[in-house]
Amino acid sequence: MYRYDALDKEFLADRVSEFRHQVTRRLAGEITEDQFKPLRLMNGLYLQLHAYMLRIAIPYGTLNPAQLRKLAEVARTYDKGYGHFTTRTNLQFHWIKLRDAPDILASLAEVDLHAIQTSGNCIRNTTADPYAGATAEELDDPRVWAEVIRQWSTLHPEFSFLPRKFKIAVTASVKDRTAARTHDIGLALRRGRDGALGFEVMVGGGLGRSPHIGSTIREHLPAGRLLSYLQAILRVYNRHGRRDNKFKARVKILVASLGAEEFGRQVEAEWAQIDPASADLPDTELARIRGFFAPAGFEVLPAVSAKLEAAKAADPALARFLRNNVHPHKASGYAIVDIALKTPGETPGDATAEQMETVADLAERYSQGEARVTHEQNLVLPHVRLDDLPAVHEALKAVGLASANANLISDIIACPGLDYCALANARAIPIAQHIAQRFADQDVAEDIGELKIKISGCINACGHHHVGHIGILGVDKKGEEFYQLTLGGSGAEDAEVGKILGPAIHASRVTDAIDDLVAVYLRERQPGERFLDTYRRTGIAPFKEAVYAEVH
Amino acid sequence: MKALTANRLADGEVVFWSHGRWVERFGQAELFEDDAPAGEAEAKAKSQPTVVVEPYLIEVAPIEDGVAPVAYRERLRALGPTNTPDHGKQAEGGHDVELIAKAAGAARSGGRVNLIKR
Repeated sequence: MYRYDALDKEFLADRVSEFRHQVTRRLAGEITEDQFKPLRLMNGLYLQLHAYMLRIAIPYGTLNPAQLRKLAEVARTYDKGYGHFTTRTNLQFHWIKLRDAPDILASLAEVDLHAIQTSGNCIRNTTADPYAGATAEELDDPRVWAEVIRQWSTLHPEFSFLPRKFKIAVTASVKDRTAARTHDIGLALRRGRDGALGFEVMVGGGLGRSPHIGSTIREHLPAGRLLSYLQAILRVYNRHGRRDNKFKARVKILVASLGAEEFGRQVEAEWAQIDPASADLPDTELARIRGFFAPAGFEVLPAVSAKLEAAKAADPALARFLRNNVHPHKASGYAIVDIALKTPGETPGDATAEQMETVADLAERYSQGEARVTHEQNLVLPHVRLDDLPAVHEALKAVGLASANANLISDIIACPGLDYCALANARAIPIAQHIAQRFADQDVAEDIGELKIKISGCINACGHHHVGHIGILGVDKKGEEFYQLTLGGSGAEDAEVGKILGPAIHASRVTDAIDDLVAVYLRERQPGERFLDTYRRTGIAPFKEAVYAEVH
Repeated sequence: MKALTANRLADGEVVFWSHGRWVERFGQAELFEDDAPAGEAEAKAKSQPTVVVEPYLIEVAPIEDGVAPVAYRERLRALGPTNTPDHGKQAEGGHDVELIAKAAGAARSGGRVNLIKR
């Protein structure tokens, strides 16, 4: 992974010192809250219901063991012993004191972590495929490009005060694990007809109160021209974005109002004005960055591990874990391991300090010093030898992280919701907990198969409900917590915004409604169909009938 | 009936106004029957920008054996998050915590006075 040089470290130290001074001035009354708020937000510090929340950037979701251990240390020293991984692959601490924030940032800077790009109308933390560098599907390592974007976009003076926040995702596989089409810009590495590497550029995706799936404005952008093209997109957005109306300020609204074709035309016109020599990254610099992501040296190992096969035959729990949480690796004899932070009954995305330390130890010992964070609020060990999988499973089990439910019905995304967030209308976490407990029987969950439930506590959609196979949106209806269900959404390569099933239902009915929806799927499904496939074939009617039958 | 609440500047803790000082528990909050003294307290609170952030009045209503904030959001602030009963004020227990936990109804918007700023 990318390592900070002396200049980067000096910059971070200066930034912490600047913020320490700002906090001191705020506590002393030398600056007002109105003056201070944008400064603390630019350092990832929000004031929520019970305390301050500090959001720490995890660029393209990649963490090394030292960073994970540092997050555990901060959790223990300054929070309540845990952290919450988010759908932007960041980590939030929910119980932070303002007076501690400078010390926390100083401590994080020791391991090249910070909270830059986690708030404000700037280019936010760029996400990438969590299987980068490990999956055989990819054309290139997307983290190389995410790091290029990170360095280019961090505190970019022209793009620090955009009309609204701006999110970019990079994927290099056909299977999209980044929800690229729900981003302001989604970048998918593709080979051109001549074999050259380039990007499919998708613009104008986004969730929130007006969900949009991104439109492709360029099928194949030569990879080396990435930065100038991003600059052109950002310039068109910066020029025409609706600064007058917060709810219409995202680029998705601009793309929708101009039309993707016209937006693309304006981008191309702007792009033509930009001097590639001054805007695009020199090959030497790209090579330098690429060097940090050089493929790990994999041993030459047999494709089947006798040790693993024996352990699997003796341990049904391990066999289940292998079925659901372990995925093929590009190197023979290795595997990618999903660590689901989704034990039924627990808070989705939460990890205790002890769990973070265990994952750090496992990454160090078994995964070439790397762990990843996914936008589905899980962790990944990207490079584990098949021989080591039983030991990894045992170690995860010991700290309650061996939940074998990746991509199943209990692998639910949930935003912090009204339990923590100042913007929320309703709670999301207890709904997720209740559903996960209802489907805790692993045989039942496996029979149901892939089913992505995503829950948001308000229309801002941090829980990605629009693109859940089943989406759940919390609303405040006459002072009560109600939930609106959507069906048929997808954040993957077949991205689609879900359709509203019907009137919102009371909190107490949500889990039963999910049960009803699952029952329709089990009744209607044809061999090989996932929930989403069945829904797409049958349409919404049978599902609607099941949930609202009692009402009619 | 109203109470006055805010988050404390230095640590973000939820606090309530009580006769010129800030207390951490809703059970110790001063309750205002009339608008005038509530408004006066709010004005005083707003003159303490180095102590609290964004003080505001909340609606409070009688429930069996006591009073509780009307809005579910405000009851959550007075208790702590529902997914972790060992975090927040609820962890300390006590009569006022038990009372608020029993109250029902009203989600976010109800019960906060002047929520929509004009």
